[in-house]
Amino acid sequence: MVTVTRTRFLLAAAVALLALTGCETTQGRANWPRTGDPLLDGQTAIAQGPPRDRVLWQYRTAATALRRGELAEARRLLDDALLTIGGVVVNDRGARQARSMFHAESKKTFHGEPYERVMAYYYRGILYWMDGELDNARACFRSAQLQDSDTERKEYAADYVLLDYLDGLASMKLGGDGSDAFKRAEAEARLYRPLPGDAQANVLVFAEFGNGPSKLATGEYAEQLRFHPGTSVYRAVMLRVTNIVVRLDPFDDLNFQATTRGGRVMDHILGNKAVFKSTTDAVGTVGLIGGLALASRKDTREAGLGLAAAGLLSKIISAATTPAADTRCWDNLPAFLSFSAFRLPPGQYGATVEFLDGAGSPSTVTKPVTINVSDANRDTVIFISDKNN
Amino acid sequence: MVVLLAGCASSGVRNPSGVPVTEMRPDERGFVAGTGIESQDLVAVTDKMARSIIGIPEIANAPGKPSVILYPVENNTRFPIQKDIFLSRIRAELNSKAQGRVMFLIRGAGAQADPRMAALERERELKATGQVTSDPAKDTPGVTQFKGADYILTGKLEGLPHRTSQGISDYVLYTFQLIDVRTSVIVWEDKAEIKKQGLEDAAYR
Repeated sequence: MVTVTRTRFLLAAAVALLALTGCETTQGRANWPRTGDPLLDGQTAIAQGPPRDRVLWQYRTAATALRRGELAEARRLLDDALLTIGGVVVNDRGARQARSMFHAESKKTFHGEPYERVMAYYYRGILYWMDGELDNARACFRSAQLQDSDTERKEYAADYVLLDYLDGLASMKLGGDGSDAFKRAEAEARLYRPLPGDAQANVLVFAEFGNGPSKLATGEYAEQLRFHPGTSVYRAVMLRVTNIVVRLDPFDDLNFQATTRGGRVMDHILGNKAVFKSTTDAVGTVGLIGGLALASRKDTREAGLGLAAAGLLSKIISAATTPAADTRCWDNLPAFLSFSAFRLPPGQYGATVEFLDGAGSPSTVTKPVTINVSDANRDTVIFISDKNN
Repeated sequence: MVVLLAGCASSGVRNPSGVPVTEMRPDERGFVAGTGIESQDLVAVTDKMARSIIGIPEIANAPGKPSVILYPVENNTRFPIQKDIFLSRIRAELNSKAQGRVMFLIRGAGAQADPRMAALERERELKATGQVTSDPAKDTPGVTQFKGADYILTGKLEGLPHRTSQGISDYVLYTFQLIDVRTSVIVWEDKAEIKKQGLEDAAYR
């Protein structure tokens, strides 16, 4: 009688667990209306989507807004996102769930991998520079560089060339000494050796092109986070204004940055989850098969049913274990970041931008740009992207 | 079973009933914290600076009321900040506690200009040309002038960040100076230092 009661209890517990695991998907369905406009859809996703994806949508939408010249919107979104990622997360329920056996890593509030956080600070820094707040721009570039400082292999730590270069240039323009930052930029340069900074340069051009990395999960239970490099047909940008021709070569490659961070602490946790899932599955299989075999004999039926129920419970626990890595990804990032600064007297200038392929040939994509040098106290900042969204 | 299923409705939602608004003192550390510059730092630093300035002979023993202009602080940290807030609070503290021993002037030029300066200049121009007046004895056409400053109050924020697998640490040094505009002598300087460190949840490491 006691054995039958225990068996019933185990079966009931198994059913309850099954019901609970069904809760996993009660939050977070992307069921808001879509218009096809990434800016509008992003704003709707921020307002109506799961709170844990809010920063992700703020990132994406801010990039779109910046590229469209909707700077106030980009500022607002990035400021809000940076408030979230700038804190130190402790005692957070979402983070605790992400570490637990029965919730996916994507349960946590999205902050992004270091290369994504770097880009949020980088874009905000550009906006501060546009507003003439060079010290706040520099603060953003420094915070961006710090996001990249905890790599597994130290030679890849804080190695964004452009961030150090801009730190040095802002310091120089503020009357300080940017030489250390320039030296770091030179030492880190892999793709292109930047020119010495010019404190008198009053036109700053930030360019980006190509497609940034995407994330994928590999391993038996998708527990290993991997990065798939994006592609770029362009390797440089040529800007022509009056008799000035400026070639912007890439300072940094986001695909390189994403893939050189190394392992995360969270990867270790996901690995443990995968082992637990695998073990409980194996135990469940043994319990079920053994239990059913025993149950086929009259004298061991009750013990067999108990063992089968325990096996079933173990199988259900295994099924409920979610070691899958979080593959939410800032999917409209560029592959390459580039920069140039030069001098122009006050006035309005028509300029053209050509994207160059690997052989240095101009593509058919040529963009007109208006450069308006009007404020003697503030640099004119131009942002160029091969993306429209 | 019904209880379990009913519980699912709000699963994954943090504080489904919300968190009531908590009123806090600005010098109190809240539950939303990072290693950056926060309100309690602002209050602690500006309180210290205001107390320190009031006691110096140039202010305490000045024959008249020394006039001071504020020059924006330089942010040399990794934290973007609203820079005016430090000097605004020092000014408010001094105005509140110095019992009229010091007065502040609106000033600025170029990128650092106080946006109210343009309105003041326009008003002065109208008075100087005799178009308007609030006191004919003072608003003499052609000679209406802004008051000049005796001192400039400014400051600098410098930071030293560090991040490893053991956590993140930020040290910020706040220095403020009062500079005599006639001699360029720094007549007063004081500092405050704040260091913070923390280790994020493993889910973000």
